[in-house]
Amino acid sequence: MARRKRRRSRMQRFGDSGWFPPSVPRSVKGGIKARNQRGAFGESWWGRRWIDTLESFDLGARLERGRHYARAGQVTRIDVQKGQIDARVQGSRRTPYRVKIGLAPLTRATWRRIAKRWTERAAVRAQLLTGQMPSEIEADFAACAAALFPKAGTDLNTECSCPDWSNPCKHIAAVYYLLSEEFDRDPFLIFQLRGLARSELTELLVGSDAEKRRPATTNVEPALESTRKPQRRRGTKAAASEPRSNTVEPALPLDPAAFWAVPVIAHAADSALPQPMAGERSIHGALLLRRLGGFPFWRGTHDFMASLDPIYARAAQAALELGALGTVPEADDTE
Amino acid sequence: MITILHAGVVDRELLVWAERSIDTATTSNEGPSARGRGAARIELRAHPFAATLEQIEAALAALGGSFARVKPRRRTRAQPKRARPRRAPATTVIDARDVVRSVWLPTYGGAPAPSSPLLGELPATRAKPSLAPWTVEYGSFDADAAIELLSCVADQRTLASGIVVGTDLAFWARTLRFAGDLVARQRFVPSVAGSPAALRAVWQPVLGPDDQARLTQLVAQMPPAARAWSESELTAPACKRSAPARSLVESLLGAWVDQLVRSSIADAELASAPTRVATRLNAARFHSTHDHWLHALGTADGHLELSAADASALAQQVDAWRRPLAHADAAPYRLCLRLEEPGTHDTDEDEAPRRALNLRDGRDHRAAQAAWYVRFLVQPADDPSLLVPAEEVWKTRGRKLASLRRGDADVRTFVLAALGQAATLCPQIRASLDASAPAGHALDVAGAHAFLTERSLVLEEAGFRVLLPAWWTRRGTKQRVVVRAHVPSSKLRAESQLSLRRIVSFDWQVALQGETMTLKELEQLARLKAPLVQRRGQWIEINPEEIRAAIDFWKKHKTQKIELAGLVRLALGAEAPGVPLPFEGVTAEGAVGELLARLEGHRALTAQAMPTTFCGTLRPYQARGYAWLAFLRELGLGACLADDMGLGKTVQTLALLMREREQGERRPVLLVCPTSVVQNWQHEATRFAPELSVLVHHGVGRAKGASFRREASKHGLVVSSYGLLHRDLTHFEKVDWAGVVLDEAQNIKNASTQQSHAARKLSADYRIALTGTPVENHVGDLWSIMEFLNPGWLGTQTAFRKRFLLPIQSGRDPDAADRLRRITSPFVLRRLKSDRAIIADLPDKLESQVYCTLTREQASLYRAITREAEASLRQLDGMKRKGVILATLSKLKQVCNHPAQLLGDGSALAGRSGKLARLTEMLGEVLSVGDRALVFSQFSEMGGLLKRHLQEVTGQEVLFLHGGVTRSKRDQMIRRFQDKDGPQIFLLSLKAGGTGLNLTRANHVFHFDRWWNPAVENQATDRAFRIGQTRSVQVHKFVCAGTCEEAIAEMIERKQKVADRVVSNGESWLTELSNAELRKVFELRSSALGD
Repeated sequence: MARRKRRRSRMQRFGDSGWFPPSVPRSVKGGIKARNQRGAFGESWWGRRWIDTLESFDLGARLERGRHYARAGQVTRIDVQKGQIDARVQGSRRTPYRVKIGLAPLTRATWRRIAKRWTERAAVRAQLLTGQMPSEIEADFAACAAALFPKAGTDLNTECSCPDWSNPCKHIAAVYYLLSEEFDRDPFLIFQLRGLARSELTELLVGSDAEKRRPATTNVEPALESTRKPQRRRGTKAAASEPRSNTVEPALPLDPAAFWAVPVIAHAADSALPQPMAGERSIHGALLLRRLGGFPFWRGTHDFMASLDPIYARAAQAALELGALGTVPEADDTE
Repeated sequence: MITILHAGVVDRELLVWAERSIDTATTSNEGPSARGRGAARIELRAHPFAATLEQIEAALAALGGSFARVKPRRRTRAQPKRARPRRAPATTVIDARDVVRSVWLPTYGGAPAPSSPLLGELPATRAKPSLAPWTVEYGSFDADAAIELLSCVADQRTLASGIVVGTDLAFWARTLRFAGDLVARQRFVPSVAGSPAALRAVWQPVLGPDDQARLTQLVAQMPPAARAWSESELTAPACKRSAPARSLVESLLGAWVDQLVRSSIADAELASAPTRVATRLNAARFHSTHDHWLHALGTADGHLELSAADASALAQQVDAWRRPLAHADAAPYRLCLRLEEPGTHDTDEDEAPRRALNLRDGRDHRAAQAAWYVRFLVQPADDPSLLVPAEEVWKTRGRKLASLRRGDADVRTFVLAALGQAATLCPQIRASLDASAPAGHALDVAGAHAFLTERSLVLEEAGFRVLLPAWWTRRGTKQRVVVRAHVPSSKLRAESQLSLRRIVSFDWQVALQGETMTLKELEQLARLKAPLVQRRGQWIEINPEEIRAAIDFWKKHKTQKIELAGLVRLALGAEAPGVPLPFEGVTAEGAVGELLARLEGHRALTAQAMPTTFCGTLRPYQARGYAWLAFLRELGLGACLADDMGLGKTVQTLALLMREREQGERRPVLLVCPTSVVQNWQHEATRFAPELSVLVHHGVGRAKGASFRREASKHGLVVSSYGLLHRDLTHFEKVDWAGVVLDEAQNIKNASTQQSHAARKLSADYRIALTGTPVENHVGDLWSIMEFLNPGWLGTQTAFRKRFLLPIQSGRDPDAADRLRRITSPFVLRRLKSDRAIIADLPDKLESQVYCTLTREQASLYRAITREAEASLRQLDGMKRKGVILATLSKLKQVCNHPAQLLGDGSALAGRSGKLARLTEMLGEVLSVGDRALVFSQFSEMGGLLKRHLQEVTGQEVLFLHGGVTRSKRDQMIRRFQDKDGPQIFLLSLKAGGTGLNLTRANHVFHFDRWWNPAVENQATDRAFRIGQTRSVQVHKFVCAGTCEEAIAEMIERKQKVADRVVSNGESWLTELSNAELRKVFELRSSALGD
């Protein structure tokens, strides 16, 4: 099927002039629904900043339509790649529209200059690692003659396969809103969009620190491209698994007595497993879920947390009952 | 026949196989053996004493019907050609069955070494063992089946007589418990596993630092045998290194956690309901891959049908979602948050950063001083004693920072990442992150209260460590406003005037820090807005709503009247209904106060005068037990006397019965006990309470209906057995019992059995339960016994399960066990032989006769022998007569021991001998408290039978020393018995083990049969009672009541002259008795028969 593809400056926008009645999008199942169902998008300052860029475009009613699309789950796919976002949005036609948002990636040299500034400030670095984006970093970009967020019009390149003449259209706006939510959750996505993959970022952040701690390697450039696996993870993982990897698995003993016996542990106190902490007793509420937050680009029919919460409660109860299994007969109240 | 169940793991499945006892004739000598040795290639030989799949199934059938589902796994790999043997049939691989697999075992020469001495001896060879593969049949258990199996196996040594749980199988049961614990604490997340081509939705366990430590310990306790399975038979060299233990355990934890969560998901749960109609999974039926994923998390196999692109996209998303966990939980550090009270935290010198922070927050220094503070600290996972404040971490150098260095890990990165996560749970932490070097955050009083009561739990739950002030964590009721009931001194003077039915009145009091408060003070408190108040230097939690409720409550209920029984219940920790505040208990003055103090064991009981009709002296601790029984009896409360075996529960009970009769009781007492001790009770009653007429209600000829009621009312004590308790309940119910005593009350520990139901139906003025097993260790058993003693005391069984059993067993509520102990302790008296106070009262050696009954089979054999002897004795004299007498005596003794000993036919043992039943019961008690016992018999055949039987029943190795044992073997046995972890039971034939040995580890000596020669018996007893023995030794001499054994024992006691001859001549003096005298000796009296 022939697809109309238009590439147009965002300045051309005379689509919403009221010549056509607003089209009604086809309903779609399994789209990405905005968690935010009312009010403004952008919880974090960076998510907010992303939205600000969009809203500075003066889209009028298309903004509201875009928000509606985002909340109704009309967007069925979003891929964030280096320098480009690909998305599918279900509009009024049968075939979903293809939305592309391009944003020029920063050069490696720029990234390296910026990372160098962060090397001086541990707090910024570490906040980045936790998924926080310190507001100072905008200044760092500015100092390197770069910008993290698109400045109006210059770096943003949007297109949509819809028949609407205006650009950005409501479909682009919908993707834009959903992205702000994902950025809230994971600011690394912004870096990825600007050409720095997560692994490369951590490499930049931690590699430079490791360099500082090991004077012998000062001359070595932090490996940007070579290592796919971030050094940080390797480091922590190795440390945590030390008892595993460093002690060689003992061969099976030949002596029958040792072969069948429960090995005696050196410290007598250790013979019993430590009990779970007393504090871990009363409340649960699927805290691991809470800790991890929402699922990226969630497309389930129902809310992610709401679907899993009852499972956590029931599984915990079932496991508790399991502990009592076999030792006690089932209750049969004779009263 | 002993079957030992083993289990290994291959591909996340539990493979269960079993060894069976080696039939002495057919073992090691023939077989695969040396012929195959020397060949370079690996041969597959069938394990010579492994169980077949049918035998494994039969063994597991003991667990109940559902285990017929042992699933043999079809082997997909073709049987390798070269494994097919060409020579001896013994090396044949049973490959037709498709259920064999090889397991690598220590091997001597041509045979695998048995896993336990229960199965047989190790070969005497000095040769070094090697590891060799042996094919065994096995049942394969997927996660679902494994969970079912292992939850039945947990903590059991045997599953049934002769079905023993191997150390490896027991290990996997512990692993399951760990998995269950993770799920109960909700330490799991949804995830995906597998390659993009075959992606599955799974639940994955998430192990925090503590769990990692526990896992390390668990792995360290894995018996090597548990990883002896090879992935493939032909990879011998690799197999010798075996599967890595940790990854095996981790893989199973994963599989079991997944299964536990999956199986708990009800059909309706995973939202995509409309798609569930589909019988076949089809990606197109789901609105999105996420719906598909959610759905598959609840299906049996978690299979996802996705295109490769969708699959990898989903995997990436899951990975991105889980990333924060991977980061925090793999770190070698832990973030701790410490709440510090105002005034405690700024004495420290390193406070500058925090002060700076507070100043930046716009507070003046004074406000900072008055504030509460939550300090961030870092703790290395490998050294919990080290706590470094976060501000040290921000410094570029320093000793403390250096102490945190762990490999490549960056502690700053960790702290910030952890704080970033904590921030999602706690807004103050989020705010604190705005500082460049966050060190903590300040809180006002309300914030501190919220932190103590809620936030800290959430943070702990999320894996952070929270350190709270000691006054909060050790918070007793003193730190809170509580309500208590106060009984003022009344006119009641003596305890004797108290009955539980009596109405007493009490006042409600409101107290704080142990002091009673006035209404005015309370109203003042209610006006305070702060949730935490410092009063007399201590912080107190104040809940204004609670206090207002208390005031209202108090205005309405100043005083109240209640039955004494209800008050006692309140005092012992029952919940007070309708009280809006924590209820602290009862304080009482006067007689009621005395009563409560005694019940709770705070005050000694008044000594009770010994009944004059009781023949014997009670040791001091027995007198205390007697007084305790009497005290509870007066109150009409049931008592559970749970003294260690041998401390004299019988005499204490008899003393109580005599006291009752002296106080005018004319109604009978019903005593229910196992058949094996019926005779013992009769004898003890005759000895200590000769005036107590005893009716043994037992056997075929027992009275029924009205005649039973008549008979019973003529006697003081009616002894019957558990078997009859249910069967004759209608007769029992018609009698007006003064009391009911259950001996070996663990017989009713299972509340749903018929005998437990029957026991609860009997009505009587008082109830006593006697047991020697540590009841307090088996929470589940407690309800039934308490329900018999004091109906309703612990609530319904369901309520009990919810309130006590589940919280205690899951280890989640440490207070639950305390509460249960408190509420039951007034009714349970348990003294141990090892108690200091008891040891002083005990003689070094306690001898007792244990009277046993004969089974019907024993009795008829016995009669046949005596009839035959009588006939021949009439015709014989001289040496021939002597010969017949001694032979008859020997036969009778054998019958008393066990019919199988006389018949020598190797027939089954259980249920055919009263002595054996009693010995098994008593040894059960010995084992349950960790004691050790010597068991003597003069017949070495009997020793062999006992060994077989006891090993099957207990699942533990039993040593047996007889004349045929070599000297070195004997020394080895003695060494092992004396060893700390050695076998607990040692059988000895009187001749082989009677002299020269030093077996002081034993504190019980059983004489299974008698030699009628005190000197010989004492010599044997002295094996345990020697230098080095620190405990008192109990000697149990078994006698079959109503048989020649008892007759001879009586004769020896009566006639000193006879006794003298006995000492010199063993049993030959019997031959000098006349035929008439002999008939009396051999005669089977009616008291012999058990059932």
